[in-house]
Amino acid sequence: MSIEVSGGRRGLTDPALAATILAAIPDQPLETQRKMNYFMTPRGKRINEYEVLCCYTQPTPDWIPGGLDWGDWTQKFHGGRPSWSNESTEMRSSDWLKHRDPAFRWHALYVKDKAEEWRYTDRFLKAYSADGQVRSMDPVWRDEVLGDYLGAFGFSEYGLFNSHSSVVRDCLGDTLRMSSAMIGLDKVDNAQMIQMERTFLAKLVPGFPESTDIPKNEWTKGAIFKGSREVVQQIWQETYDWNEILFSGHMIYDPLFGQFVRREFFSRLSSYYGDTLTPFFINQMQLYFSQTKGITTDMFHTCLASDEAFGDYNTRLMHVWANKWLPRTITALKDFMGIFAKIPEIQGVTDKPAIEAALNRVFDDWKHDFADPIGYKADTAALIKTVLTGLK
Amino acid sequence: MAISAATKAATDALAVNRAPVSVGAQEVHRWMQSFTWDFEKNRTKYSTKYKMANDTKEQFKLIAKEYARMESVKDERQFGSLQDVLTRVDAANRVHPKWNESMKVISNFLEVGEYNAIAATGMLWDSATAPEQKNGYLGQVLDEIRHTNQCGYINYYFAKQGQDAAGHNDARRTRAIGPLWKGMKRVFSDGFISGDAVECSINLQLVGEACFTNPLIVAVTEWASANGDEMTPTVFLSIETDELRHMANGYQTVVSIANDAAASKYLNTDLNNAFWTQQKYFTPVLGMMFEYGSHFKVEPWVKTWNRWVYEDWGGIWIGRLGKYGVQSPASLRDAKKDAYWAHHDLFMLAYALWPTGFFRLTLPTAEEAEWYEANYPGWYDMYGKVYEEWKARGCEDPNSGFLPLQWFIENNHPIYIDRVSQVPFCPSYCKGASTLRVLEFNGKKHSFSDQWGERMWLSEPERYECQNIFEQYEGRELSEVIAEGHGLRSDGKTLISQPHTNKDGKLWTLDDIKKINCVFSDPLKAL
Repeated sequence: MSIEVSGGRRGLTDPALAATILAAIPDQPLETQRKMNYFMTPRGKRINEYEVLCCYTQPTPDWIPGGLDWGDWTQKFHGGRPSWSNESTEMRSSDWLKHRDPAFRWHALYVKDKAEEWRYTDRFLKAYSADGQVRSMDPVWRDEVLGDYLGAFGFSEYGLFNSHSSVVRDCLGDTLRMSSAMIGLDKVDNAQMIQMERTFLAKLVPGFPESTDIPKNEWTKGAIFKGSREVVQQIWQETYDWNEILFSGHMIYDPLFGQFVRREFFSRLSSYYGDTLTPFFINQMQLYFSQTKGITTDMFHTCLASDEAFGDYNTRLMHVWANKWLPRTITALKDFMGIFAKIPEIQGVTDKPAIEAALNRVFDDWKHDFADPIGYKADTAALIKTVLTGLK
Repeated sequence: MAISAATKAATDALAVNRAPVSVGAQEVHRWMQSFTWDFEKNRTKYSTKYKMANDTKEQFKLIAKEYARMESVKDERQFGSLQDVLTRVDAANRVHPKWNESMKVISNFLEVGEYNAIAATGMLWDSATAPEQKNGYLGQVLDEIRHTNQCGYINYYFAKQGQDAAGHNDARRTRAIGPLWKGMKRVFSDGFISGDAVECSINLQLVGEACFTNPLIVAVTEWASANGDEMTPTVFLSIETDELRHMANGYQTVVSIANDAAASKYLNTDLNNAFWTQQKYFTPVLGMMFEYGSHFKVEPWVKTWNRWVYEDWGGIWIGRLGKYGVQSPASLRDAKKDAYWAHHDLFMLAYALWPTGFFRLTLPTAEEAEWYEANYPGWYDMYGKVYEEWKARGCEDPNSGFLPLQWFIENNHPIYIDRVSQVPFCPSYCKGASTLRVLEFNGKKHSFSDQWGERMWLSEPERYECQNIFEQYEGRELSEVIAEGHGLRSDGKTLISQPHTNKDGKLWTLDDIKKINCVFSDPLKAL
């Protein structure tokens, strides 16, 4: 039989080819170790599929901690800067490949979740519209708050999304890179869901402006988002250290500003204004926030702050970064307080005591989840007091 | 419209039509271009000599959730096939052993490219100013994660279910030992991520993906299938569906810089360098994996190369970009010569260095030798005779004490590594176009095998300083290097790599290598 085969003959099903192949196969497997990446240290008791498919895909040499390769880079940037280098961050690690997404999501699991959310979103919107629920929505809330300010908040999410681009390029680990891309995609998903809600409202409410013009004007020129816009721009474009980008965005700004805006403003207040639509989208964003929190606390608390060799140094550096980014975030929140003057007041809901209680929830959560684990001391009462001075 | 009137309108609209309403992905996407805003310090962190236009569009207009839906559907089909029918028919144990070994390399090395492309497209996402263009690159970032996982899944599947797990199960650790690895890093790792952002895009999207993924990801499925492997077509063809988006991204990159004066000045030089960089490795390596890593042959590599690289890419694809001033690379002519002999030259060297691999290599059988001679007249006189000599000296037998590397030393045929491509070559025994050029810089000697790489180095030597395996291992005994690089099977003594796939043949151990006392030397020091 000729060894050149044509016409799409397949070795698995063509009897003549299959006979030749089977005759060549060893009677017994040549190797008993069948676990891929058997040499690695798993996070749990056994190496899981996520670890098999993601870990040690990063081809860094051993002088970048965790790498298995040797030697130099085969091509460098113009001028000789290396492809990846320890100098890309002030943080230090004994093993840049240690991070794990607590949900162990590799690509297939990640897109499966999001695809389900998309299908459910489509079904929900159809039911919502057919049910006529939009009729109960307060018109000021709908046209001014959702039309303008929720739209403007979409730019905050979009800017944070963009801050992940250089992280995806520069970070020093495989699981870090994949996690950073996924939490970046979640942020642009948030921005797109906000526009989706506005487009949906425009379909249901004749005259509701779908365009991004008014929200963009609010975001770029208005007073309510001035502080947040500046922080987002600084994280996105002025920060080069990829760890600082993740820390400032996900350990300071978003747990405080993002959480207050999403959970304590749009989600909490919407039901008081007859809005059952916005919580549907916000709760998806909150799911992403929760997943991101798991990822970034693993990066910064479980890996960097607990690093045997560099934990103390890393913790001190996180304190420095917190000192830098916390005042900016407080300013962003303070500016955002101006929004309460734009909405019809509801006693016990939008008055000062209710806002203070909401701020307390956010700051308590932040202290518990982000500050305490690294021993960062912040006078949250004083911070809240500062934020409240922004109320008109 | 007044607020109260709007509410009334909504109520009236509902009275007329209660049909369910939703929002499609395109209805959201059409606003994407307005998601960004201007501010003083809005610029990329990665410099480029080109300027990407602010209004560049993308061809695949996806939003995050629609992307996920589309990929999820493809995953269901792919993993369904792998985990269901292919497992039930024990497909991994019905692959020809030679091809089982090839997939250790092909899948893992493609994984390297996919992985680095995550970072590369992250850089492009940062560099682009138009939100749609950013969105296109973002989709590719996610795709590349998918492909990294998929390539890993091939090795994972073969390790778990196949006939020889060694090499599949630890490729990410053992790949760094041998002579093919550094060249792989040049084309599929550093070439994608280190440099001018647009230059990297040209390497990745315009050449790597638009040119070489066709033979690497599409043609390979025919070879796999002929040799009994249905896992690779299942996964790789699913990967290829995403590659269309990546080629479109490359096209849009060129569109975005088409009106920039820098494009007419630099684009064709960057394209020529990128093409030569990619072809210098892939032309010989793919040809070697296909022809020498299979039992059943689909067609001579030179024909595959001519169809996909020369005609489809160099002619049609680049032709379409002609209106933007893009020309076929000047180095395409020399590459066409490489497509005939370079893979035969490389196999000879790879086989000579077989103990440093993480896979088993096999010398051509008599019927394969006939096939080579029929398709590459002159093959026997150059290569076939030598392989007969090596076989006669017992190169497959661990008791022989003979490594083919000794033949090169005995016959005074030194093997060098090209500094720019990191591809090994033997200028005194090759039919390809390699010629030795040696230059000295900063007290160190550098060897080159062709004018195109030499030119790149002469322009920017600081970009190509990486030591090669002979410099790295100089003075060290071969078995030490193998043990340190974890090139052993789970019994702790048998090598992962072997010089045959004969099921009745003996397997070489570390002791067999140690007895030969092969010590590495740097050929440049002898000059």
